[in-house]
Amino acid sequence: MNKIIDVHGLKKSYGPVAAVKGVDFYVEKGKLFAFLGPNGAGKTTTINILCTLLSKDQGEVIIDGHILDYDDKLIREEIGIVFQESVLDPLLTVRENLEVRGSFYSMKKSDLNHAIDEAMRTTDITGISNRRFGTLSGGQRRRTDIARALIHHPKILFLDEPTTGLDPQTRKTVWKTVENLQKEQGMTVFLTTHYMEEAGLADYVIVIDDGLIAAKGTPAELKEKYSSDTIQIKPTDSQNAKLLLEQNQIDYREISDLLIIDIKKTIDALPIIKLLEGMIVSVQILNGTMDDAFIGIIGKEIRE
Amino acid sequence: MIIQLILRNLRIYFRDKASVFFSLLGVFVIIGLYILFLRDAVIGNWDQTFPGIEFVMDSWIMSGVVAAASITTTMGAFGTMVDDTVKKNIKDFQVSPIKRWQLVLGYVLSSVIIGIIMSLLTLVLAEIYIVAQGGDLLSFPALIKTIGLIILSVVSSSAIIFFFVSFFKSQNAFATASTLIGTLIGFFMGVYFPIGQLPEGVGYAIKIFPLSHSGVVLRQVMMDEAMNKVFAGVDESVFSISTFKEDMGIVFKYGMITFPFWAHLLVLLGTAMLFFLLTVLRMSAHKAKE
Repeated sequence: MNKIIDVHGLKKSYGPVAAVKGVDFYVEKGKLFAFLGPNGAGKTTTINILCTLLSKDQGEVIIDGHILDYDDKLIREEIGIVFQESVLDPLLTVRENLEVRGSFYSMKKSDLNHAIDEAMRTTDITGISNRRFGTLSGGQRRRTDIARALIHHPKILFLDEPTTGLDPQTRKTVWKTVENLQKEQGMTVFLTTHYMEEAGLADYVIVIDDGLIAAKGTPAELKEKYSSDTIQIKPTDSQNAKLLLEQNQIDYREISDLLIIDIKKTIDALPIIKLLEGMIVSVQILNGTMDDAFIGIIGKEIRE
Repeated sequence: MIIQLILRNLRIYFRDKASVFFSLLGVFVIIGLYILFLRDAVIGNWDQTFPGIEFVMDSWIMSGVVAAASITTTMGAFGTMVDDTVKKNIKDFQVSPIKRWQLVLGYVLSSVIIGIIMSLLTLVLAEIYIVAQGGDLLSFPALIKTIGLIILSVVSSSAIIFFFVSFFKSQNAFATASTLIGTLIGFFMGVYFPIGQLPEGVGYAIKIFPLSHSGVVLRQVMMDEAMNKVFAGVDESVFSISTFKEDMGIVFKYGMITFPFWAHLLVLLGTAMLFFLLTVLRMSAHKAKE
């Protein structure tokens, strides 16, 4: 296993407010890593520390073999960052923006031009390269932001809530771009999000809440551990069905005309269906979702 | 990369038409005030004694305008730096392998370039006005000297402004300060009123203010030909040119000593160096990471 990011005991406070209270994790090379948490959980603080923007109070961070705070310049050459808020200049065209930011990486002019063309192709913005950044739509901007982060072929791509505030269609294209970078170019992707379904597509998820790691694992592991499947039954005779369930000591909830029973595994639904055979109008078995897992972990709905 | 940064700052400045206009606003305000209200008062009844005195007075106000412009337009050019800090665009520079001094140099050099361009534009407007009022165009040597002085003045004011701008944390504070300075700079430099008409204390305050020295040297260069022409053959016992020069702020006298031309240049150079040094000290104490 190849750890490209390795974090131990990371702590950061803003005055008396502790934003990150000691987190440990690592990111494997070439993986899509999601940092999931409600607003104010410490996601952005962590990402800002990792990308050399913010100094940490305590802990050790190693990024691709470079020690944070000592080899910051080397780290900066290897990472690309897409910030939550766009940081490009609205009055410059897409290409001008990329030329300015690309000039920071001491590349030869011809190499730089080539790299810019490539970054624009990857993010599918070649057609708008001469438009001013300020006139672009939200999705076009976001893709330009990503292109900016790709110019210097970073080994790690950090994205801080890359899809927040985008419409569902655009969210999908942006996500597709990011996935392609990881799958086809083997880039390590570290992103924060508060969209559960996006975290569900990652290779590994860390749920952070109130500055601490609340849970970690693959999406399947998290769902397995923190969410349960449910069976929803619409009975013909509600009274009798409930009586039967109570007699068999099966817990249930009643929502309008449905009886809802939590089950550990999908297969556990069978005996219950058998038990109620003959008094069922319809039955539905639902798998646990990342949403359920998240609520299971944090103990509350996501705070918007 | 510094060249790319300078290019970026120049593009951002010149593509924002409103900001270009507003940094010239100070210039228009002074010219407008002069034409509408001050010109007659300044000229007074001297036109009876000295035919063509308008040329001298127009040159006087216009050299002041150019001096003021070299400060206000340079200040306007620092707007990009404030903007970057406030809107956090600067984060993108901080996570790139670019040194802080390179970034800073980019801001300073682009502001100097913008200040020079805008001041030269002001000079063109000023000369057009002078010629339209019947005066003469600057001679070539005087023009070259004027341009040199504009550059020195812009460099000097960019040093001072850069130092103060590094304290501004909000766009509003910067905008307010710009407006305030843009309005007051004409007074601080003795542009609106001849320094001799002001109370002694105010006159001294102006003489101590380092940037007012750029007004002095610009007046010396830009008014020289006008004065030679209009005051030719004047009887010194009737009309003292040296008193006129002192009253109009063409020379600064401290006690009995009249400051020579090179001393004014030294003040401007010294100011530039002092403030750049202060800023460097402040920058090195003030870490990028907070």
